[in-house]
Amino acid sequence: MLDINCQYKSVEVSGKKEINMKFYKPKSLLELFETSEKIEGKKYFLAGGTDINVQIKNGMIKDEPIIFLNHLTELKNILQSDNHIIIGALTSFSEILESELLKNKLPFFQNSLKNFASPLIQTTATIGGNIANGSPTADIVPLLLILDAKLKLFSKSKLREVPISEFYLGYKKFILKRNEIIGAVLIPENAETGYETFYKKIGSRKALYIAKLAIAGLKKISNNKIEEIKLAVGSLNEYPRRLFKVEEYLKNKLVNEIDFADVEHFLQKEITPITDLRSDKEYRYRVCINLIRTFLNQ
Amino acid sequence: MKSIRKIDAIPKLNGSWKFLDDYSYEGMIHGQLLYSTCHHGFIRKVTFPEGYDLSEFTMVYAEDILGENIVPEPVCDQPYMADKEVFHFGQVIMGIAHPNRKLLREFISNTSIEYKELPAITDIKECLENEDNVFGRKLTIDHRTGKKPDPNWVHHHKIYYTPHQEQAYLEPQGMIAIWQPKDKIMFVRANCQCPFFVKEGVEAIMGNKIKEAVIETSEGIGGAFGGKEDFPSLLAGITSLLSYKSGKPVKIVLDRSDDIQITTKRHPARIEINSWTDPETKKIMKINIDYRLDTGAYQTLSPVVLARGVLHAISGYSIPSAFIRGRLFRSNTPSNGAFRGFGAPQGFAAMEAHIDKIAVDLKMNPYEFRKINIFKIGDEFPTTQPIIENNLSDCLERVIEKSDYLNKLKEFKEWNKSHKDKKGIGISIGYHGGGYTGNGEKILNSEVKVVIEKDAIVKIYVSNTDMGQGAHTTLAQMFFEAIDHPLEKCRVQLPNTSKTPNSGPTVASRTIYIIGNLLRKFALKIKDEFGFENLENFVTSNQNKFPHEFRMKFVQDPSVVFDDENYVGVAYKDYSWAACVTEIYFHADTYQIELTKSCSVMDIGKVVNQKIATGQAEGGILQGLAYGLCEFFYKPGYGRMHGFTDYALPTTMDIPEIDVEFIHTDSLIAKGLGEIPMDFPAPSIRNAFYNATGVFIDEYPLVPERILRNLNVNKHC
Repeated sequence: MLDINCQYKSVEVSGKKEINMKFYKPKSLLELFETSEKIEGKKYFLAGGTDINVQIKNGMIKDEPIIFLNHLTELKNILQSDNHIIIGALTSFSEILESELLKNKLPFFQNSLKNFASPLIQTTATIGGNIANGSPTADIVPLLLILDAKLKLFSKSKLREVPISEFYLGYKKFILKRNEIIGAVLIPENAETGYETFYKKIGSRKALYIAKLAIAGLKKISNNKIEEIKLAVGSLNEYPRRLFKVEEYLKNKLVNEIDFADVEHFLQKEITPITDLRSDKEYRYRVCINLIRTFLNQ
Repeated sequence: MKSIRKIDAIPKLNGSWKFLDDYSYEGMIHGQLLYSTCHHGFIRKVTFPEGYDLSEFTMVYAEDILGENIVPEPVCDQPYMADKEVFHFGQVIMGIAHPNRKLLREFISNTSIEYKELPAITDIKECLENEDNVFGRKLTIDHRTGKKPDPNWVHHHKIYYTPHQEQAYLEPQGMIAIWQPKDKIMFVRANCQCPFFVKEGVEAIMGNKIKEAVIETSEGIGGAFGGKEDFPSLLAGITSLLSYKSGKPVKIVLDRSDDIQITTKRHPARIEINSWTDPETKKIMKINIDYRLDTGAYQTLSPVVLARGVLHAISGYSIPSAFIRGRLFRSNTPSNGAFRGFGAPQGFAAMEAHIDKIAVDLKMNPYEFRKINIFKIGDEFPTTQPIIENNLSDCLERVIEKSDYLNKLKEFKEWNKSHKDKKGIGISIGYHGGGYTGNGEKILNSEVKVVIEKDAIVKIYVSNTDMGQGAHTTLAQMFFEAIDHPLEKCRVQLPNTSKTPNSGPTVASRTIYIIGNLLRKFALKIKDEFGFENLENFVTSNQNKFPHEFRMKFVQDPSVVFDDENYVGVAYKDYSWAACVTEIYFHADTYQIELTKSCSVMDIGKVVNQKIATGQAEGGILQGLAYGLCEFFYKPGYGRMHGFTDYALPTTMDIPEIDVEFIHTDSLIAKGLGEIPMDFPAPSIRNAFYNATGVFIDEYPLVPERILRNLNVNKHC
């Protein structure tokens, strides 16, 4: 059953030093789970490969087995079911950007992704990969957080749904169980209907960059009162996060009565910006505050 | 002005031209460099990983060097490989070769080196602020009148910093060396700007073990920007040594991350300016410039960069009393080297910002202030070289008019009153002396060779390389247009040190200016000597005279007299001039500067090929703008960048509308073009930001984090 013949000897030198990497290409979802269960220890699921391939090239992944997913077309689709838009985990960013369904139902979500990486990477990178890679800077996650998306998790014998806000537990840590994968993303079809929307991804240039910070927001304001507000940020914590405390503070407030000292107070409880090669703590914090203020006042 | 298609366009598009890594030779093995990860220390022990058969590897250390362990450079102080002590991160300790490239990379990345660490200077400011780090040649241009500053004159004192810059050529550095024991010749296929420099580099390391090194470039050279001026000598030397020791052809192609980390960069600079301006006449009366470069661990060609730096440091202003001092500062980082502009962009960065600061303090607009102080006929450079044309001023006037500067200045001021975001507009000017500095071209004594075949095919032999800038097309064009010969009968030969005469290195904006103009004269001379109207007809009816070889040498104009000791006289015969106006949009929420439009007017004399010249100008302007805006290579506490994920080059999305116009194109002389586009644009961004916000920033690049820090300091804005 298993197509383990794709074992590939990357280097062979006089039999003295061999570097073996095993690659698996299961023929179906069922086979995927069977393959996956047979592999003990650490392994990688490779969807678009835009990050894993770089890690292999840089020697960060050396001996661990790799399971290819990208050919499993059953996880590559965008469709509507009941009142949800379902995006298969292996759907590429270019498919998301070209989808007529998303253009009609979730145009804000779709438009916000135009700045994702570069056209080359868009054709390969997948929505599931962007989520499961677990990067604090994952572009799609702040958007999914404010759209109240759920993830459909598949394992051999079970399907379950979890809100994306509960998916991450820490840096590159998830609630995924062993041999469980992200199968699809579910977004309520009216998730952005009737909301004023906001999305900013800040980086060192206008395209092909890793976010210094990203912020996504939805709001409903009537008679100057904030009736609903949803805010999520990326690159400001160990994983992208909804700002529930800030939201709670803002809800039902009159816009002109917001005390930004209070907003900052709650924000500080929810974000932990750092200084790194790409940017500074102070910058990330100040820009986050500025953008929230602009979004509320616009 | 004809836009003839580049001769390399088709073969590069269809892939038939080979770049260095496309070449392969029978039995060829792969090499890599093992370099220091310690900034300063003694090498205690090198430990190779287990599980490899060491007999399969070829390794060379300093002690294997057959000649001298010193790379030939203007100052010979850098070893090919460290012996016992390393003086900087990235210093090569060994060359290692193996038939399998991937295995070699694994082997090297798992090799560990133990050091006894010594104190090291790795931070740019730590290097440039401490006078104890001064070394090497000091340069002084003393044009002081001896008059004391009038107490009414307005004094300005500012210190400016500029960062490293990475050349970011498309093709990383690479070499192939093939030892030919029978003839005792080391043949090197080189990805380089200067084949004759590489020849010296190989012959120095090989000593008398070889008869000669023959260097031929690869067909395609994927960019250089100065980065392939001197580092290739070191790389070719070590590759040759590996080939000699292994008896096999050896290819080294650097990984991008190694290339970014260990090869030469633009020198970071600290430039301190003291100026005194007469508030009545608005004339700058006196200036002192202290110009410092962080050279890295060795001087190599830094004194030459320093020379050009001090010679361009005053920018385009006539100041009666000027004193300029240039010094080199040592640090424990890889030697900095050549990069388009070669010391000039640092000087303009400081002086062009300084001019705006004075103008604003005198309540003048920066254009009016420049207009009063800009070079005019009758003025002189601080070296006493007379200014003989008003072309710089013409560039300024034209760009002010073209960009609608004065109206926009008012318009933006009005707009800014009612907006949180700000619009700004800034000017900068610049110039670049063509060719080697001072007596350099006389010493170079460049020679070109032309062979006319029986079928009237003309073969041009020069050692200048085409690294994508279109030099070979333009050089051919200059020869053929002079005598009206069809371009398709042209062959520019691949530079090869045993076939092409030494027409000097491909640097210093000299290729078209020195060699191109020489070829044009040469064509006319051949025409004169043979007395033909049409070369094809002449060759057909005089078959017995062909093939015929001609050689011609460059003769420097006798007016170029330069005192290298005291820095007095004519430093460059011809200057290219430029002025620029850039508009920005400042995003108040994110502290980001967005470039909206950049308008440049340049005088490069005769434009040989409009399309190639425009491409050169636009590319250089973008490289210049990025230098001021977003590229940073070193972050205190985090060190040097490793790759293009972190080193932020602008993408096509970041490019503003770029408008380039050439003026005074009716000149007979084609002047230097390679570097000037890099020299002048960056300060216009800083000046536009100053115009937009009133906040003056003394350091490049203007990344948003730096802007935020400066806004916090200048709370009133």
